[in-house]
Amino acid sequence: MTAYLLNLAQLAAIFGLLSVSLNILIGYGGIFSVAHAVFFGLGAYAGAHVALDLFPDLLLAALASAVIAGVLSAALALPALRVRGEYFVIASLGLQMLATTVFTEAQAITGGLGGLVGIPPPTLFGFTLAGPLVFLFCCLAFLALALALVRQLMRGSFGRALMALRDSETAAEALGKNVALIKTLAVVLGTAFAGIAGALFAFQEEFVNVESFTLDQSVLILAMVIIGGAGTLSGPLIGTLLLLLLPAALTFIPFIPPTDIGAVQQLIYGLAMTLLMIFRPAGLAGRAMGRR
Amino acid sequence: MSALLSARGLTRHFGGINAVEAVDLDLAPGIITALVGPNGAGKTTLFNLITGHLAADAGVVELFGQRITGHAPHRIARMGLARSFQDLRLFARMSVRDNVLAATEPVSWFWQPGGARAARERAARGAQALERTGLAPLARAEAADLAYAERKFLSLARILASGARIWLLDEPASGLDPASRARFTTLLRAAVADGVTICLIEHNLDIVIELADRIVFLDQGRKLAEGPPESILGDPRLAAIYFGERA
Repeated sequence: MTAYLLNLAQLAAIFGLLSVSLNILIGYGGIFSVAHAVFFGLGAYAGAHVALDLFPDLLLAALASAVIAGVLSAALALPALRVRGEYFVIASLGLQMLATTVFTEAQAITGGLGGLVGIPPPTLFGFTLAGPLVFLFCCLAFLALALALVRQLMRGSFGRALMALRDSETAAEALGKNVALIKTLAVVLGTAFAGIAGALFAFQEEFVNVESFTLDQSVLILAMVIIGGAGTLSGPLIGTLLLLLLPAALTFIPFIPPTDIGAVQQLIYGLAMTLLMIFRPAGLAGRAMGRR
Repeated sequence: MSALLSARGLTRHFGGINAVEAVDLDLAPGIITALVGPNGAGKTTLFNLITGHLAADAGVVELFGQRITGHAPHRIARMGLARSFQDLRLFARMSVRDNVLAATEPVSWFWQPGGARAARERAARGAQALERTGLAPLARAEAADLAYAERKFLSLARILASGARIWLLDEPASGLDPASRARFTTLLRAAVADGVTICLIEHNLDIVIELADRIVFLDQGRKLAEGPPESILGDPRLAAIYFGERA
């Protein structure tokens, strides 16, 4: 039981990091991406290769994953960010579909559907991070670092510029903001943290394959941000806890047969999202309706 | 005195519509120029061409003696040309203070140059802009929560805080009550006294008469006349066009 809860807590910290990173794009930048799982996957594969082919050093793997996800996102984002709003959503959807195919087919790098197996336990400065509790603290440390950085940046001039272009790109430009540069920086920052989450995920699961980086995963991360409250610091964490703990909690309800848990979960998700969008569209941590 | 901003032969067509056709415009320093004309005359399009929000089909724009044709809007803004929009385009989910602070921060990077001292100077400039527009008591309010007149003043506060030397204002006084209008004219006169050059689009001729030193009259994308207010507004031909009484 303790091992199960620790595993759940590790996943919550990793997905918390993912949703906090997507919140930089969606909540603060108004850049709606449904391809965040792509950068999560790139980070996971990069981290797995560092661990398998070099050393399983957590910081090295996290750094490599952040750099690969961040640099590739910049290359992909620069042309895509020229389009606005719903067109970017479609462009990111295309990227997600493309990446899923590449992850499946590029067997030499990703292991294809079989994935990369046997990822060794992580080390830090030569010491093996033995035990799930130690690894949980490492995940929480990365999450805390991301939260502190996002809080600091969003209270400063970069945050103001990013939120300004979210609210009106043309007005931001008219006040001297380089919209393309600000968007690119936000995308690189957000996807670099998604890459780190991927590296942590690779160590946590000891195995990675394409099934963790599909459109379903991107939509789940998006739902975490929106349900919790996009553009707030705590919202993505609330959304993550809710969407990760709900399926876990359902397994403890005795009168739901295990085979029906998936269907019940979908019903609850659907109902919750519909009610939330009607009564609290800014998310659980966002502004309540009626104040405006 | 030579113009701070000079446009020559600016032209923009949308399909078969000549939105702006070979328009020349000079903004002389320290005065208020009003762009006047009926709806669809091309006034806002002219602003968009000058600020780089629209690419011109032909023509040249010079700002402070430098050619800015084809430059991105943010580059033109950083040279000291600020504009407002008819629909205001406030940063609605940000506080009033942050709307203004964003206008004082010139660099689109993770941090601004100059350290704490420059940050204090920017904060002081923002606070002064809020004081001058009467928005200081609302500094912590979210822009979306402001009343209509206060939203108008916030769009002016952003421009004021930006430190721009040339302001292009698109219908800045429309919908203002008389008291707010008086605040508005006082604010503009104070800005001009500080050396700001203003070009405004305005349909309210009382405000044009009260504020403008010079009028440029546009119709169907063409400049029909330019001169002091009394000569333009006293021209019966232009009055007929303005009020839709074409022959």
